[in-house]
Amino acid sequence: MSRGAAVNPIPAQAGIGLRMPHHAQLLASRPQARWLEVHPENYMADEQALAALELIREHYPLSLHAVGLSLGSAEGVDRAHIDRLRHLVRRLEPGLVSDHLSWSTTAGHYLPDLLPLPYTDEALSIVCRNVEQVQEGLGRKILVENPSTYLQFSASVIPEAEFLGAVAQRTGCGVLLDVNNVYVSAANQGRNASESLTEWCDALNFSAVGEIHLAGHAVVKTATGADLRIDDHGDHVCAAVWSLYEQALARLGPRPTLIEWDTRVPAFAVLQTEAALAQSRLDALPKPGYARSA
Amino acid sequence: MRAAPEHASGDQSLASLQLRMAAALLAADATAQHLPEQLFAGAHPGAVGLRVHRNTVLGAISNALRLSFVAVDRLVGEAFFDRMAVEYARAAPPSAPQLDEYGSDFPAFIADFPGTESLPFLADLARFEWQLDELGRLQAHDDFDRASLQLEGGVRLQLSDSLRLHTAHYAVDQLRTAILEENIKALSLGSLQPGEHVYALWRSPAGVKVQALSAVSALFIAAALAGAAGAQALAAAAADQSAAAVAEVLAREVLPASFIRIDKEIS
Repeated sequence: MSRGAAVNPIPAQAGIGLRMPHHAQLLASRPQARWLEVHPENYMADEQALAALELIREHYPLSLHAVGLSLGSAEGVDRAHIDRLRHLVRRLEPGLVSDHLSWSTTAGHYLPDLLPLPYTDEALSIVCRNVEQVQEGLGRKILVENPSTYLQFSASVIPEAEFLGAVAQRTGCGVLLDVNNVYVSAANQGRNASESLTEWCDALNFSAVGEIHLAGHAVVKTATGADLRIDDHGDHVCAAVWSLYEQALARLGPRPTLIEWDTRVPAFAVLQTEAALAQSRLDALPKPGYARSA
Repeated sequence: MRAAPEHASGDQSLASLQLRMAAALLAADATAQHLPEQLFAGAHPGAVGLRVHRNTVLGAISNALRLSFVAVDRLVGEAFFDRMAVEYARAAPPSAPQLDEYGSDFPAFIADFPGTESLPFLADLARFEWQLDELGRLQAHDDFDRASLQLEGGVRLQLSDSLRLHTAHYAVDQLRTAILEENIKALSLGSLQPGEHVYALWRSPAGVKVQALSAVSALFIAAALAGAAGAQALAAAAADQSAAAVAEVLAREVLPASFIRIDKEIS
């Protein structure tokens, strides 16, 4: 199986998550964006939207970030969904293809969320099997993203970062490190986010990390008055996550970085401003040739 | 790595856990929404995390349906629409991630939904919106290969590939427009009375188009879509009317429509 370099590589710069409300603007005026990322499931049953995306794609590098492969499903990955994704990959020739370390499908029902896994040896085998099946079906490597977590299972015996590191090591997939998710999960688990990110960086082969995600999140109160952070992609990236991003870049070096904003989607100019904040941090990194401390 | 804790009993497989979680997330009954807390370990109780996921799952389904049934949502209001959507999700969860295709049975589901008795046209309106939504997702081709009708005088009629007929028991096009324009008062009393209405629906490069049809035009197009030849389609439309009367109706309603292309052979 060929898993060579992508035809249209995504630059190690700051891109923007493209959502439907911005299609018309991108088609009409081609606003500046270094690259774009979309959820392929939004284009699988909408020929009209796909036709628009094909036109947009002529002017911007594109990444496909799936939400429906259900890589953690015990019953396996739906081959029909792999076929649908392969069809889009062939039409759009994305620089990156990714999905999540989670599950959404069981007993033929699709639950539209990134549901958590217990990090067990059984789950590891299942995820590796599913990732292999997807990579085989697509004929290319994918990236797998760490999700935000609101639940932890007592059955878990493998730390999350080690679990995803093992998936990457066994299957040859890459990792999409969502820094906001690291922050949200750490906060919801009562852990220090910086220490958590260090664990992630320690557990991953740096070369496996092919993309970073940044997003805003919400804070709600539980019935007991405790804070619970919800990864709703509905706000600006918060200061603590920017700080964590700088920490990640210092360890990993420059990586394609995406601004995600899915709820209460703002004007495209707002996303451009947010991407510029990420780009300024990428630009501030030492240029190649300078020694970087580990 | 630490050792896995021992469980008292039961199937501890991932498949079993996922089935139990899905059932808990979709359950309406408060008791069935919970899983044993010993399954979870974290700073927050498992019930808190399950609630987050339940809100996400049901919210995403509700929002997907809202995008397809815009006027239904506008008419009944967000909170009531969410009630209908959540009950529908529990009865018939999505089977695939492309949620654009989810909801074909929603109109039938809400037909007898408690609280909608004063809106007898609601399911009809929903059926109409589903047709519009499906057409809206088609690529805007300008192809006219669906049916070809040879008429007298070398005239050939070709129908748009996307053309479909939709029969409703209420004037759903008028209803939908009035709802979306927030102008219910403009509706005539007649449009709220039951009665058969047939619409031509098609996808043009300019968007989804709707045209109300008379019985004559509807019969003519239905016959054409079923593969009838020109003379047969005219005969089907005629019923007990004269050929001249049929020709007059078709000339007024069908021939000017953009779902039809007229070719005239040069002899």
